[in-house]
Amino acid sequence: MSALVTSLRMAVRAMVRQRLRSLLTSVGISIGVAAVVLVAALGTGARGEIDKQIQSLGSNVIFVFSQPATKSGAKSRANMGMGLTERDAEAIRREATAVTAVTVYSEVSAQVMSELGNGKIGVMGVDESYFEVRGYEVATGRRFNESEAQTKAKVALIAPTAQQKLFGNQDPVGRWVRVGKHPFRIIGTLRSKGQSPFEDQDDRILIPIGTWRSRVVPTLGDRVQLVMASAKSAEHSGEAERQVKQILMQRHQIAEGEEPDFRVGTQQEFQKMQEGIFTVLTVLLLSVAAISLLVGGVGVMNIMLVGVTERTREIGIRMAIGAKPADIQAQFLLESIALTLFGGFAGIGLATGLMLAFARELGFPMQLSGQAVAVALGTSAAIGLTFGFWPARRAAHLDPIEALRHE
Amino acid sequence: MSALIRLHGVCKDYMSGPEVVHALVDVELEVGAGELVAVVGASGSGKSTLMNILGCLDRPTRGRYELAGIDVTERSTDQRALVRNRLIGFVFQGFNLLPRTTALENVELPLVYRGVSAKERFRRAAHALAQVGLADRAHHTPAQLSGGQQQRVAIARALVTSPPLLLADEPTGNLDTRTSHEVLGLLQELSEQHGITVMIVTHEADIAACTRRIITVRDGRIFRDEPNAEPRIAEPAPSRP
Repeated sequence: MSALVTSLRMAVRAMVRQRLRSLLTSVGISIGVAAVVLVAALGTGARGEIDKQIQSLGSNVIFVFSQPATKSGAKSRANMGMGLTERDAEAIRREATAVTAVTVYSEVSAQVMSELGNGKIGVMGVDESYFEVRGYEVATGRRFNESEAQTKAKVALIAPTAQQKLFGNQDPVGRWVRVGKHPFRIIGTLRSKGQSPFEDQDDRILIPIGTWRSRVVPTLGDRVQLVMASAKSAEHSGEAERQVKQILMQRHQIAEGEEPDFRVGTQQEFQKMQEGIFTVLTVLLLSVAAISLLVGGVGVMNIMLVGVTERTREIGIRMAIGAKPADIQAQFLLESIALTLFGGFAGIGLATGLMLAFARELGFPMQLSGQAVAVALGTSAAIGLTFGFWPARRAAHLDPIEALRHE
Repeated sequence: MSALIRLHGVCKDYMSGPEVVHALVDVELEVGAGELVAVVGASGSGKSTLMNILGCLDRPTRGRYELAGIDVTERSTDQRALVRNRLIGFVFQGFNLLPRTTALENVELPLVYRGVSAKERFRRAAHALAQVGLADRAHHTPAQLSGGQQQRVAIARALVTSPPLLLADEPTGNLDTRTSHEVLGLLQELSEQHGITVMIVTHEADIAACTRRIITVRDGRIFRDEPNAEPRIAEPAPSRP
């Protein structure tokens, strides 16, 4: 034990003596280890977090987007662009048996002002079902009621990010905001839903869809951007998707095999898409890791060989006073492991920085786990052992007489 | 006196290009415990080869070498390392201390390979340094020490394991006359007062005259081996000014 401590001290001292050299040599290892840490973090933290975000969209939600039909012709042109209407939503609500709730929304990003602040905020027109389907919960105040929806009342609910922008820490309920030239009274606040895979779900205000159509974007008639339906359960989502598709095909008079002017997507599809992104990212990072660890490892081997040559005389002295080949080999192996472990710690630092940047810039949550640290340090030690082996062996097999004569 | 070293029919051949060089031919030698011996000879005479074999750094091509009753001729590399660590102390012409390493740590080094605890290493290394009169230089690195002091650190390193045999290869080659005598005085003292067998390789008659037995090597053979009845007394190592 004491011998190991002594050898470790010698190894660290040898590394510190050649500060610049050690630093440069371990750069490659650092990058490789950082990539390994990111892969591990993706595996443990981010995947679960993104799944949670997708769940936050609501339960078993089916999305219907309008999309421009690729075919030309009078019939198609009528449905081009914003082809979905509130009447489509009503039809689904009426006819699709596997669906429990249907909602519509339209959103536009607009400059919103209060007496305390202003900002570019999503202004969403929604119907009453929207809260259930998307799982928005009221924190304080209340939702708008049926009569407010019908009379196109200028009332709004505000989500936390927007609340922060417009009111800071003040209670917004009962206060006013202005969208364009129209004032809206805040009647409630929403609980945070956090980041979705696409946007900050908390940076918006919600107003009745009727009000949105007549006051915010009066040119769209009864068209809506998105129809969302909630399937009865996860098992019903396939059936619900088929029913929704069929109803819309019929209403939009699209023949079997023709390109529809809408697209239906389920939560499962988002999940699959997300999985795809993860796979690509993981493969990419692992390639970076493999290449930089290989190049870094060769660098370590090179510098260790230089070290063995420079210190030939020292090796001779150690052998003369009783070091066995195994002692010499252990010494140089420890040195190369110390070098790569240093690179490993630097890599963990680099990865932590990258993760913070990802989290802030892309809303891509990742956390440094103990497991990731263990994997990183294990990898570095293994690289040190692998690429230090040959130089250490060379040192161990020097002839003591030749080594002592070396100048 | 019982023999510490026994060489019997030792030959050493090596290839120099296409030619076989007979570096040592049929060497017979016995050295007793506590002897102070000089090995002299011109360069190329084979005295370095002899010292390498005596130091277990090299193996004879033929013949047998017994050290302290152990036949070390056909030992494995690891066992020879062990023999060097336990039975032999080396002092070199170029001092061969580890650079940027304190005197104390240099002296401790043989004990590291013996697996001695840090505390015990420190105690023994400090004692060995005191023996060579350098207790107050324990934390100096070789660069901060004079040549004579460096050589005394090297002697302390050779002594720290209490070996029966100390091999000194041109120990005064890099030192001025005054310092040479200091170092020689120390070696004489070790032989006489501590019963260590000291063998000094040198080409200087002046140095050889300080020993009790002078072995002359020529053309790979022991040419002359005679006692030196009245060795010159080297000045005792003076206390540090």
